[in-house]
Amino acid sequence: MRVLAIVPAYNEERSLASVVAGARRAMPEMDVCVVDDGSTDGTAELARGLGVTLLRNPLNLGIGGAVQAGYLWARDHGYDAAVQLDGDGQHDPSFLPALLAPLAEGKAGLVVGSRFASGHEGFRSTWVRRMGIRYLSWLLWLRCGTRTSDPTSGFRAAGRPAIELFAKAYPPDYPEPESIAIAARQGIAVAEVPVVMAGRMHGKSSITPLRTLYYLVKVSLALALLPVPLLPLGEESRVGT
Amino acid sequence: MRVTGFIPAELQVLAVAVLASFLLWVFRLVRTQRLSLGDSLLWVVSTLVAVVLAVFPGTLFWVSSFLGFKTPSNALLAAAVLYLAVNVLFNTVASSVNAARLRRLTQECALLRAEVEALRARDRADLPP
Repeated sequence: MRVLAIVPAYNEERSLASVVAGARRAMPEMDVCVVDDGSTDGTAELARGLGVTLLRNPLNLGIGGAVQAGYLWARDHGYDAAVQLDGDGQHDPSFLPALLAPLAEGKAGLVVGSRFASGHEGFRSTWVRRMGIRYLSWLLWLRCGTRTSDPTSGFRAAGRPAIELFAKAYPPDYPEPESIAIAARQGIAVAEVPVVMAGRMHGKSSITPLRTLYYLVKVSLALALLPVPLLPLGEESRVGT
Repeated sequence: MRVTGFIPAELQVLAVAVLASFLLWVFRLVRTQRLSLGDSLLWVVSTLVAVVLAVFPGTLFWVSSFLGFKTPSNALLAAAVLYLAVNVLFNTVASSVNAARLRRLTQECALLRAEVEALRARDRADLPP
């Protein structure tokens, strides 16, 4: 199975090298694709020195557009699976084999790494955000019957059909829960495996209470208004999703 | 209330002058290629409608009393607000589509950059030292 690690990075020069090194340690045969989403620091130069595939967005697109660039690369270069791995180091690459296992066994087409699927300790964020996540996972179940305990997790593995789907249609911002819905509605089986996430290694999280509220409203709306027809097959989505 | 269909001539002249200069402005934007002809149509047509109303205010009086507005100016304002709201909605739609296109172009550009770099690297490897 040819696997591509998609590492979206926006001004992550301090953590990127260790993320890439960790990914290679965990899965030496895996290709790594860093998507530099218009960074203003030395992310691009650093990535070039790491010998990875480097996709440099000339404009900052935000997480959805950056990840989708990686899915486009994966699609065009015939990868069987793609894993998303944040450039800020919150995803522990040692979970990658576990994340890929359900794909290899043909049990799922999209595997989400969940912080809540087991009793492991680790970074679990505040109770307000946990409530929000629980609400989203309920809403996701309501809208497409998928049971995922951590729909906001960006730590995930996509099989070939999901790669092709996400290359065509991927939400531009706050993409995580919505992309699960899009995949599920497209008939892609969604599974989850327990992972432990770290806090950020460097830099500040952009999450504030007001943004959390905006996030919940926006994602709720996105899940309420899932695109119809879900995916005009063979056709690009016109405004993102 | 009696529907007269009359407004002062001075006001009519002023209205027509303002609308005419607006129309000229739109034409200028088209001719200097800052506004596409297709996008200008909405403005040209709506301005012409306003010109007709200014020249023949009786039409507005008749329509507003038919719809039950107390004064014609209310009907005019309601119509203008609705028209502008629809216009803004169309603009937002266009801007969403443009954002998606820009996103895709940006990604396409990133992919091509990577392909070019890979080709260059292969080129350098092929060349004798």
